[in-house]
Amino acid sequence: MAKFTDFLEEKVSNPMARLAEQRHLLAIRDGVISSLPFIIVGSFFLLIASPPLPESWAITQWAADNAAEILIPYRMTMFIMSLYVAFGIGYNLAQSYKVDPLSGAQIAVASLLLTITPTVIDELFYLPMEFLGGSGLFVTIIVSILSVEIFRICKQKGITIKLPDAVPKSVSRSFEALIPVAIVIVLMTLITVVIGVNLHTVVEKLAAPLVTAGDSLFGVLVPVFLITFFWSFGIHGVSVVGSVARPVWEVYLLNNGEAAAAGEILPHVAPEPLYQWFIWVGGSGATLGLVIVMILFARSKYLKNLGRTVSVPALFNINEPVIFGLPIVLNPILIIPFIITPIVLAIISYFATSIGLVSPTFIRAPWTLPAPIGAYLATGGDWRAILLVLVNIAISVAIYFPFFKVYDRKMVDLETEEDNTAP
Amino acid sequence: MKKVLFVCSGGMSSEIVVNALKKEAGKHGQDLDVKAVGSSEVDAELDHHWDAIMVAPQIRHRFKGIKEKADEHGVPCGSIPAQAYNPLGGPTLLKALNELIS
Repeated sequence: MAKFTDFLEEKVSNPMARLAEQRHLLAIRDGVISSLPFIIVGSFFLLIASPPLPESWAITQWAADNAAEILIPYRMTMFIMSLYVAFGIGYNLAQSYKVDPLSGAQIAVASLLLTITPTVIDELFYLPMEFLGGSGLFVTIIVSILSVEIFRICKQKGITIKLPDAVPKSVSRSFEALIPVAIVIVLMTLITVVIGVNLHTVVEKLAAPLVTAGDSLFGVLVPVFLITFFWSFGIHGVSVVGSVARPVWEVYLLNNGEAAAAGEILPHVAPEPLYQWFIWVGGSGATLGLVIVMILFARSKYLKNLGRTVSVPALFNINEPVIFGLPIVLNPILIIPFIITPIVLAIISYFATSIGLVSPTFIRAPWTLPAPIGAYLATGGDWRAILLVLVNIAISVAIYFPFFKVYDRKMVDLETEEDNTAP
Repeated sequence: MKKVLFVCSGGMSSEIVVNALKKEAGKHGQDLDVKAVGSSEVDAELDHHWDAIMVAPQIRHRFKGIKEKADEHGVPCGSIPAQAYNPLGGPTLLKALNELIS
């Protein structure tokens, strides 16, 4: 057993975790994460525009009549999320190369804007905002990385205009960026204007299989398994898997948000809030059920004490104390339910959502909310989401119970042994 | 007073462990100022003159990168032992910290 876990950790888990630390993946991750406050706040205007209240109420009527105005904050944040993400990726990637991050962020934004062309109506210029939302996210990632790479190569190879040392730093910095900015703008103009390629339609076609796959049951189960697999070795699974999967999850969330704003059927089952509220109840591994079992049934003094101290963080989905305290890490008894429970919950939640028992998620609520509240908000105020969370908690209690009892008995034996040998 | 920086993924879980450490330090009359941050905030924190940086076990794949930066600033950097990363881990935690600082 020990040999097998050593093998898994050395050959599988560690190399994969290191892969997620790769410079560009890290920049994408931090770029997307930096935009989350705008998604969280922006998405709540979707809820305000169609409040979860009876249709006959005056406030519901008022919201329906003024939806276009109410949604303006949403349109300027979540609806054009890619603009914020481009800035974030450009900033973080430039910083990782130790070149001026602000220039990197600005170059990334410019290259994204140059993938779309304004239309002219009555001598006024209009940008097609839809390309700056969910469907533009993959293009954003590609052009942000490309443009910052050009910027840092120019900088590192000395292809810049250098001014004498006497010139103030802020002035010389903007001159240093001149040549790379020129290269990026000319290149993007060539692609979009001269050749006339719409990168968004090209990339959308290329990414279509990935977008379909990630929204299937299998596409949900793979990250669910991998995340608890990493945690079984004590490595932050969401942080590793999310680095790769989050851009796709964000596309689902943004597309669902756009559909909700337009009053259409939500196209995707699996934005990240599906995982967050229905599967990771109490944290990765659905450990709220385990904590409940621990509080109700623990006989071991240590586990009883631990159950009490971890109960409050568990309500807010913070479960490192559970994972390292019990521990679950490298614990052959508890790893089994730790991996099985989320898979069962994922299957139930996926089907409940895809056959319409529960609304798909389209709002991003802060992840530290208790799961029933988070699920209610994320589904735009669907009370059935609360029921599903409660059912999922009950199931996780049932799966964790027998395994916990075995472990508890082992701990009690250890504790009596210690008491007996103590002087 | 010693200033200690705890680093985890988002700065949430280490906050819980920070309390365990402070409590234990209080018992021994040690005065500690401990702050919990997420791994993306480390760069910004490095200039703030820490006496030690401790990295949570779940982001140990990031330990090397954080340690390199800490070394550049001459700050001792160690990992938090996995078995101490919970609200009852205070004693082990304080021991690890004192070994790192001394």
